[in-house]
Amino acid sequence: MSDRRLGWLLLAPALALLGGLTVYPAIWVIWLSLQYRIPVFSISRWAGLAHYAFLAVDARFWSAAGVTAVFTVASVALECGLGLGMALGLRGQRHGRRAAVALLLLSWALPSVVTAKMFEWLYHPAGGLVNFLLGGRPVNWLGDPALALPSLIAADVWRTAPFVALLCYARLLTIPAELYEAAEVDGAAGVQAFARITWPLVRPILLVTLLFRTLDALRAFDLMFVLTGGGPAGTTETLTVYAYRALFQTLQVGFGSAIGVVVFALVMVVAVGYLRLIGRQEASA
Amino acid sequence: MAPRPARAAAALVVLLVLLATGCRERPSADGPVTLVFKHAKILGPADPVPGLLRRFEAEHPGVRVQSEALTWSSDEQHQFYVINLEGGSPPFDVMMLDVIWVPEFARAGWILDLTPFVPVAERDAHFASAIEPAVQDGRLWALPWFMNVGLLYYRKDLLAKYGLAPPRTYDELIRQVRLIQAGERDRRLDGYLWQGKQYEGGMVNVLEALWANGTRLLDETGRPFPEPERARESLAFLRSLIVSGVSPAWVTAGDEELTRRPFGDGRAIFLRSWPYALDLFELPDSRVRGRVGVAPLPRLPHGTVGAASTGGAHLAVSARTRHPALAVELMRFLTGEAAQRAMTEGAALRPSRPALYRDARLVARDPTLPALLPLILKGHPRPVTPYYLMLSTTLQPEFSAVLVGRKSPERAIRDGAAQVEHLQQSLAR
Repeated sequence: MSDRRLGWLLLAPALALLGGLTVYPAIWVIWLSLQYRIPVFSISRWAGLAHYAFLAVDARFWSAAGVTAVFTVASVALECGLGLGMALGLRGQRHGRRAAVALLLLSWALPSVVTAKMFEWLYHPAGGLVNFLLGGRPVNWLGDPALALPSLIAADVWRTAPFVALLCYARLLTIPAELYEAAEVDGAAGVQAFARITWPLVRPILLVTLLFRTLDALRAFDLMFVLTGGGPAGTTETLTVYAYRALFQTLQVGFGSAIGVVVFALVMVVAVGYLRLIGRQEASA
Repeated sequence: MAPRPARAAAALVVLLVLLATGCRERPSADGPVTLVFKHAKILGPADPVPGLLRRFEAEHPGVRVQSEALTWSSDEQHQFYVINLEGGSPPFDVMMLDVIWVPEFARAGWILDLTPFVPVAERDAHFASAIEPAVQDGRLWALPWFMNVGLLYYRKDLLAKYGLAPPRTYDELIRQVRLIQAGERDRRLDGYLWQGKQYEGGMVNVLEALWANGTRLLDETGRPFPEPERARESLAFLRSLIVSGVSPAWVTAGDEELTRRPFGDGRAIFLRSWPYALDLFELPDSRVRGRVGVAPLPRLPHGTVGAASTGGAHLAVSARTRHPALAVELMRFLTGEAAQRAMTEGAALRPSRPALYRDARLVARDPTLPALLPLILKGHPRPVTPYYLMLSTTLQPEFSAVLVGRKSPERAIRDGAAQVEHLQQSLAR
């Protein structure tokens, strides 16, 4: 057996598994999205691109797409900024680093539904801690269309900034102290040291983190599902929440799949964009 | 959406492996038969279900009933059923359904037609508003297990202090809120709490406002908003509660628990909720113990008092059960009078049989039962249609938009009607 054939043979189980678990369902979902299929009403016939044509003019879909975009950009930017800040702070800390890392892990380790339930009570307008700290003003965090999405973004940042922080912190630990010492000898410290040493070395890992976080944020579901149900007035309904409603709550399998395919395409485009960026960086490094 | 199918596929693989390795029930003719009963965990002082199942087993030698708990949230329960029932042979025989799913499951052919098994007298022993959603095309598909109805909770002590009787109209309610708030001078005492979040509970509150004004969501032919002017008044009224401060602005994010807590802490005069809250208000450490009364929901200018939504759970039998006769037997046993008596005694639930509300022994344990009876008798089921969930999820954002002031009631009714008609057309073809 040639090396080449042996190589394929050894790859086969992994490929079969990947094919079975990802490629096959993906193709199946695309196939479903081209049909009218509502099992409860025994509706099952070809739709072609009708669902996509409807989505193009569906106000609810565009609202969900807008919410998804705002949520993704805002939450990922804040998480990465804050996460990097936390990591730098951690490195500069002299005592209690281990305790700090453990505390950071805590918020990340909580199941997201638990986080959501916790924030439900934190944000409670009458008895919630947030309003209590603000002096008892009854701010309507989750029921005001202007505040609901920012409130969800804040909850998401609380939950995932530590994840970014830990990854960046791990990278920071591997930067040899000699680099900074040498820089200091050459008269570069503070901002300059950050710009010339820390940033270029952290950037690759930050980019990978950014990729993870963006893909997660594009598929954001649990927080809005538990906290607001997509409301008020649909202002926190993301594409995945809309897809869930169509697919699992109202069993419009064809239509729901079409939304799913759009999310899938969006995620793929963003992922490929990031991977290119990461690839270019590796090539230049 | 890639991850869900992937997860479903993974679950399928695991399931297939389990099946292949012999986790299969033996379909023998005279060996022991196992029935699986799928239901949500029953809350309350003592879960009566295990005892009831043992009693059924004792009465049916050779039959074992296995009780399996459903997840907590109603959405997840629905999802669980859909995946299992649509996928083929479901791993359960008798199942607990939210009343709003019964027409859908019947239409899908997932549950057994019970018409031949259940005598008419047995049907009639339940509330009509609980039987109505269980009947589709003249056939019976489920029997009620327990009952829910929307109630107006009020603070007996506060109303008595100002010499007031429970309000029969919403105008009265608003006047009472103003009077009591002016007299108490407590900035933290809210007026009227209800559920305005964008979810099924919010839908229920809007439906009740429609009924309170003598109109409804769908007419007999399924046309949405048959009297748009009355519907407009109902929606405008709900919004006005918030604008005028009779209800705090946060009711637009309020669900049952979020609204029950402040009332239970003594921080509201009125609350719209379900009967479960009553048990919690009367707990020994409750701050409002002995100070809470229940009344029918008030009316708007064109409606009648007590136009509350009913709810609750039904029991149905899987259409693919391998033991239909025994499964029906179990379902009838659990919805029967003796079982419902045990459920009422042991759990914080209300029976679906009117006779039990006058039962001396039950009333001695729960003195609120007789007062609930007329309220339930006046209750309305939510629109009984297989596409109720579609209807509800389509309209929820429209109603929510009115409550938060994003849309005028006219506009929401117009947009909502257009979407419902689109939905109906897509189902009719």
